[in-house]
Amino acid sequence: MIGIKTEKRMSRESILKAVKKNKPESLPLPEIDLGIFEENINLVETFIGNLNFVGGRAIQLNNITEMDAEIKKLYPNASKIVSCVKESALGTISIDKETDPHSLEDIDLAIIKGELAVAENGAIWVTDQDFTIRALPFITNDLVLVVSTNDMYLHMHHVYEAIAKRDRTFGVFISGPSKTADIEQCLVVGAHGAMSLTVFIV
Amino acid sequence: MAHADEAAIFNKDEAKVDWHDKALWFVRQKRDKSAHNVQGWEELRNLASALKANVLSNLDTYLLQFEENAKKNGVTVHWAANAEEHNKIVHSILVKHGVKRMVKSKSMLTEECHLNPYLEANNIEVIDTDLGERIVQLAKEPPSHIVLPAIHKKKEEVDVLFQEHLGTKPCDGDPQYLTGEARKHLRDKFLKAEAAITGVNFAIADTGGFVVCTNEGNADMGVHLAKVHIACMGMEKLIPQEKHLGVFLRLLGRSATGQPITTYSSHFNKPAPGKEMHIVIVDNGRTEQLSREDFRASLHCIRCGACMNTCPIYRRSGGHSYKSTIPGPIGSILSPGLDLKKHSSLPFASTLCGSCSDVCPVKINIHEQLYKWRQIIVKEVPQPGVKKNILKIAGRVLANSAMYHVAGKSARFMLKYAPRFVIYSKLNAWGKARDLPEVKNGNFDDWYKNRKKNE
Repeated sequence: MIGIKTEKRMSRESILKAVKKNKPESLPLPEIDLGIFEENINLVETFIGNLNFVGGRAIQLNNITEMDAEIKKLYPNASKIVSCVKESALGTISIDKETDPHSLEDIDLAIIKGELAVAENGAIWVTDQDFTIRALPFITNDLVLVVSTNDMYLHMHHVYEAIAKRDRTFGVFISGPSKTADIEQCLVVGAHGAMSLTVFIV
Repeated sequence: MAHADEAAIFNKDEAKVDWHDKALWFVRQKRDKSAHNVQGWEELRNLASALKANVLSNLDTYLLQFEENAKKNGVTVHWAANAEEHNKIVHSILVKHGVKRMVKSKSMLTEECHLNPYLEANNIEVIDTDLGERIVQLAKEPPSHIVLPAIHKKKEEVDVLFQEHLGTKPCDGDPQYLTGEARKHLRDKFLKAEAAITGVNFAIADTGGFVVCTNEGNADMGVHLAKVHIACMGMEKLIPQEKHLGVFLRLLGRSATGQPITTYSSHFNKPAPGKEMHIVIVDNGRTEQLSREDFRASLHCIRCGACMNTCPIYRRSGGHSYKSTIPGPIGSILSPGLDLKKHSSLPFASTLCGSCSDVCPVKINIHEQLYKWRQIIVKEVPQPGVKKNILKIAGRVLANSAMYHVAGKSARFMLKYAPRFVIYSKLNAWGKARDLPEVKNGNFDDWYKNRKKNE
């Protein structure tokens, strides 16, 4: 054990030493000029267009109270539902920090509140503070995300400013349902993660 | 075997080569469409390139900063000087937790280190969970592309492979059915795995976090179910600050497949309660590449594969013909740095058309580096006699106008009157698989002189 530890430390030191010796003269850290990337476009429309492009479905609601009825229409056979959104009463399975993620393997549907949406790529940002068990948005058969029109951003530069002050644990941008084209470049939706993604824009 | 000989094997199946060529060109076109949608795309590429240059010039500082912040987040950081040490570290973590079954998402680094055979030799089951990687794993082949690992396989081949290994029904290669069966098969593996290995797309110095990108969701399925997460990264994956992800995530998906972003871009900072997270930082020749002024920019690479999709040689020779972990143009400038002799034919597997440099999201001057490797290789590695002597003679002829004149005349005479087997002999590489142009009477020199006379 001592042998391995010493070897470990030696590699760290030797790597750092080699980098120091071999690196070029210091080059400046570039500034990002956001002006270059500004566009005057309709964020919601752009978001919906991109979400459709990546295989997701967007539904605009006037009020979040209409959501449950829409979900029932879209997923009539879903019975094992985890809802992490207080405005939805469809949840049939409750989870907490102690839940074993393996027990979620046959979940039909998860409903999660998205923190923000990115117009340029149809992605929604969610963190484990929104869904408690990290495996949930991936292991569920279908996924519903809810996002407010007030939380819509043009591009990723704005988004990183918006999430800069979060408590960093685990977060993920989700853009569409899970997919693959590994067999002859034929697009198949539903690889390992959710088979479908519906985003409610409120 | 040289790249050209390997490519000749791939080219035996002409229909397959045509398909391969077109499929990859289609991905290139998707990339173009997607890139043209982004206002300031070229500026994004400039920024990405400048950011990576800044990283390389301060790499030691950033590495230390990253290590410090990752440790603060409760992550264990390991350092590996080479592939062997990397494999030993991963194995020791698995042994500590008594892991017998492990899932792995895509990581070119673990391919480079040959981790799978190492762990298998130590009685640990390793399952590649990216569909393309699972296909090549079952076929006992290496990936032939860094983003599309099974692009060399026809769906009918996958059908047969799955019948044999997963017990699927014959389906004429129906991708929907085959993917569905793979989902079931791998779900079982995810649920049973005790540890998950992922690669790292970007590691952020100022937060100690890292980002893993997938379309299938396989990295997350593995990590969030297993009790131990081991993330293996080449040391050049660092970026200075989290906001710089804005630049790189906008470039990566679009350059790779034409998607505006990958389906999942997962940001890992702290392990989930009760779980362990490890990061293995690997050198394996990277510090040496850093020392080579002409070639260090190859370390900017974010592994999008755009240079492969656009390369006329790659598309027609297939990834396996490169016999290196990273194939295509970028592989051809990285691999000679690892083993000059073994990979000496790769920098010649290029027309130097420059398309790779044009599409590279981090603006690596790939085709210039290919040319520079050639200069080194002809000096340090013995070249085939035919090539050497012909080029020597050509040099002499081209430098002497009288000799050039005679040579031109006799070449035209030969092309017109010599029998086919003479012209298309082994000495004439240009005559392989193509006919030389028909010879017209006269030549430029005579034509020009005549024209002057008639003025």
